[in-house]
Amino acid sequence: MTRKKTNLSVEIGGITLKNPVMTASGTFGYASEFEHLMDLNRLGAFVVKGLSLEPSKGNPPPRIVETACGMLNAIGLENVGLKAFEKEKLPLLKGVNTPIFVNIYGKSVAEYAELAARLEDIGDVSGIEVNISCPNVKSGGIAFGGYPETAAEVVRAVRKRSTRPMMVKLSPNVTDITEIARSVEAEGANSISLINTITGMAIDVETRRPKLANITGGLSGPAIKPVALRMVWQVAQVVKVPVIGIGGIMTAKDALEFLIAGASAVQIGTANFINPHTAIDIIDGIEAFMVERNISDIANIIGTLNLSPR
Amino acid sequence: MHQEKAKVLWNREVGPEYYRIGLTCDEGYSSARPGQFIMLRFPGRITPFLRRPFSIHQRILTDGRTTGIELLYKVVGAGTKMLSRVQTDDVVDILGPLGNGFSISNAYKNIYIVAGGIGVAPMVFLASYLEEMGFNPSRCTVFLGGRSTDDLLCRDDFLRIGMKLHITTDDGSAGDQCFVTHPLETESEKRRPDIVYACGPLEMLKCVVGIAEKYAVPCQISIETMMACGIGACLGCAVERKGASDNYMHACMDGPVFDADMMKI
Repeated sequence: MTRKKTNLSVEIGGITLKNPVMTASGTFGYASEFEHLMDLNRLGAFVVKGLSLEPSKGNPPPRIVETACGMLNAIGLENVGLKAFEKEKLPLLKGVNTPIFVNIYGKSVAEYAELAARLEDIGDVSGIEVNISCPNVKSGGIAFGGYPETAAEVVRAVRKRSTRPMMVKLSPNVTDITEIARSVEAEGANSISLINTITGMAIDVETRRPKLANITGGLSGPAIKPVALRMVWQVAQVVKVPVIGIGGIMTAKDALEFLIAGASAVQIGTANFINPHTAIDIIDGIEAFMVERNISDIANIIGTLNLSPR
Repeated sequence: MHQEKAKVLWNREVGPEYYRIGLTCDEGYSSARPGQFIMLRFPGRITPFLRRPFSIHQRILTDGRTTGIELLYKVVGAGTKMLSRVQTDDVVDILGPLGNGFSISNAYKNIYIVAGGIGVAPMVFLASYLEEMGFNPSRCTVFLGGRSTDDLLCRDDFLRIGMKLHITTDDGSAGDQCFVTHPLETESEKRRPDIVYACGPLEMLKCVVGIAEKYAVPCQISIETMMACGIGACLGCAVERKGASDNYMHACMDGPVFDADMMKI
């Protein structure tokens, strides 16, 4: 008996991914860091570390703290800047057949737009992820993603200068995430990824100092998964563009929860630190789940939350 | 660098709260250098959440081939507590070898090794590596310090190689009652070494670096920082450069061994 081929491919705002599993910005470096540990070709896509026009030093240490079922980070978007990214990091990925999303951020609306425009000329970039949600930088990031008006302003400016598929990454640190989602969709976002980290803090009781030099940081890991799942479900109901679920995904089962809630794809973040092979294990796990249940197409999982009476 | 499931060969208590754990590993560790480290995790466990870094204490050789590594650790928190309970034949997930390791020049004649407390862990590998490279052990001096006699580990490892040993304790229960940097200073004054290698508590390292500067001797220190991934992805292990600079170094990739004159300590 020949088994029907299982279709894991999904369409994410203008890009077809061979499977719905991506790696999240800031947790996968520039991808080449992981090439000895896995076959990068197997990933649905990867999103490289948040990029700015100029190199950025990031926050002073200590930058990370372990917490219950997760971690806090306050890296502060340390990155090599556009020039070094193009000349030094991107060439390392030559021959890798996986779409590359570049996560971009700026200190001003103009900077976001300028960076997006400059990326137009770089051939190996498949799409951009607009980061309006980093909680660890003073200007940029969450300063824009916190309100529908400012979020819309960034997306509008980027859209004017960029023809690339545009994913917009939202912050959970807002009153109503669906409002922000609607506003970025209206300005031309091709897909919406959520959630970025949840702002948190930790204190050393002996010294009474914050454990992070930045005082507050972003919480990630399985601790935030229920919050992320709830927000993905809410957003998926109010927008037409594909939603990408992020937040504490460690296993195929976690990923499937997000897909059922309405995400067309997922991003694996903190789990890459714990087990660099997580994304591959999740792809295999989703496929095994489908084969066991005779589900031939991943589309038959996405957005199929069962709300009929129990 | 690779990730593998390593079988536990032994996990022995070698002092109060100190353990040595032997792990089987891939041949890739035959090229491991002293000062390099691994990231360890308990498979299937969500707590402790992050991997834990451990420097390689020794290679385990079978018929001249590297078939495993040994770690020396002290129980200081939840991760090391759990590690201390691991049994022979259990499996742990290790990622390594990581980081840069100590750099060694054939031109070195006199070598000083300074180890404080559990900071001795990578220094035993360093000592045996120097021996293999053909350095004259009688021209290698080890300064070993601890709070008390219970915190002085691996004395025999250095003596077996034939290295000179200066022992100090905070409470005088073994060796001289002073900081390990005291004999380091005295000996440096008598004869300047070509290099000082050091690993131990931050305060000790600061003092060692000060002495090395005073006598204009190159110094390499192995440092410990919080880190999540160990492979340059999380950027959690930022280390400040000496002087004004536009970027940080990272303990996992640029270290964990640093030239003392490169970093701000």
